Amino acid sequence: MTTQVRLVFGWALVGIPLLYGLWETIAKAKNLF
Amino acid sequence: MSLLTALDRKHTIAPEGYSRWLIPPAALAVHLCIGQVYATSVYKNSFVKHFDASQTSIGIIFSIAIVMLGLSAAVGGTWVEANGPRKAMFVSACFWSSGFLVGALGIGTKQLWLVYLGYGVIGGIGLGIGYISPVSTLIKWFPDRPGMATGLAIMGFGGGALIASPLSQQLMSWYDPDYNPSVASSVPSGSAVAMLFVTLGIIYFVVMMYGVFNIKVPPEDWRPEGFDPATLKSKTLVTTNNVSAGNAIKTPQFYFLWLVLFCNVTAGIGILEQSSPMIQDFFRSDGGVSTVTVAAAGGFVGILSLANMAGRFVWSSTSDYIGRKPMYMIYLGVGILAYLGLATIGHNATWVFVLLAMLIISFYGGGFATVPAYLRDLFGGFQVGAIHGRLLTAWSAAGVAGPLIINGFLDAKGTPGKLTVDAYRPALYTMIAILAVGFIANLLIRPVASRFWERAADEVPAGTTPTERETV
Repeated sequence: MTTQVRLVFGWALVGIPLLYGLWETIAKAKNLF
Repeated sequence: MSLLTALDRKHTIAPEGYSRWLIPPAALAVHLCIGQVYATSVYKNSFVKHFDASQTSIGIIFSIAIVMLGLSAAVGGTWVEANGPRKAMFVSACFWSSGFLVGALGIGTKQLWLVYLGYGVIGGIGLGIGYISPVSTLIKWFPDRPGMATGLAIMGFGGGALIASPLSQQLMSWYDPDYNPSVASSVPSGSAVAMLFVTLGIIYFVVMMYGVFNIKVPPEDWRPEGFDPATLKSKTLVTTNNVSAGNAIKTPQFYFLWLVLFCNVTAGIGILEQSSPMIQDFFRSDGGVSTVTVAAAGGFVGILSLANMAGRFVWSSTSDYIGRKPMYMIYLGVGILAYLGLATIGHNATWVFVLLAMLIISFYGGGFATVPAYLRDLFGGFQVGAIHGRLLTAWSAAGVAGPLIINGFLDAKGTPGKLTVDAYRPALYTMIAILAVGFIANLLIRPVASRFWERAADEVPAGTTPTERETV
């Protein structure tokens, strides 16, 4: 596996769940305003 | 080569040309998983019903886990340094995942002590080892930007709850069709939480294995392109010498920094622990009705999570440019002003309250993320992970002190649901005093005396053991 592929896979593995968490939290935070 | 041998430090040295940008995702894979510990509130009510126990008995599960985090980081820090990040991450994954499985057994058999043992004790050990495992490796890969590197990983610890909270609700609604996460009074069944524990145990083990197999330490003489260690010498408080963990705890700098972290965390926990009822109480009229709804208060909790996470990355990265000591002067000094604002004008408008609380919580997160780089500046990179582990006992102590202070004041002022802003003022002024103590402790931090430095190999008398060498 090339370094580029490993970088994309690694950052996607942690980035996608993090984006999901951020999305859900922002949706919840909208209730404040 | 056996599995355990493959995990040794000597087998994790990176080959030439290995990208250092592969290290943060490996560290994040561990921290995002163990950060679940901040999402325990999603099944707290289910535990109360399932075990027919009080809120306090259930709250103890979280407290045990945090105390074990501090203890295992303190006790296991030297072991982590000696065995390297890969073995440490593997051990952390085993403890963290088996903690969930033993916890699931406790839920299934309705034995609360098994949940204490599983999630609290066994899982807590996984938390402590996992929290410190990538720190010194990141500092070695990013000597030019240690604040940013550790900020990224420790941001993951804050982000873990952001993922685990909605994911757990989704999974529990699959396992218990009667459970509706969008209805506040809906509580998932015990078997759904047991299934959730099994699922999370498996998912976290797999994700943490990505971290285990991708973490690598740089070769001894490696340095990033264009980086000159001599530039560090020009910065105040930054040493190019090394202090062992054994010697670090003999220095006043360690205890001043312990106090700084303790004060910063205690003050932050005061708001975090009470965030949802606090915003409602601040905007409660004399008639007892709050203008902030339960749903809006839930939104406030979400905003604080974002501020906590962002603060870890943004403030820690900023410290690479302005220095660690000035950064903590901001956390503690501006923190004092923010708390003062909360106590005096925070009740005037929701946006003022939210902005001030966000600032305080971003400093709380920033304090956690900046401390490894502060330790590196003071004690060098030699055993920074082990020193960090010992310093995290401040977190455990603050985890007990913070809620005790705020709940102690509030209990004396009335009953929950009827409190107003006046009930919070004594607690807020106490937090200001605590931050002031931390501010002074930070001001007193000076460079470590040369008698604590490690000697170069050619200066150590022949026949000296490594332990003796630590105290030379």
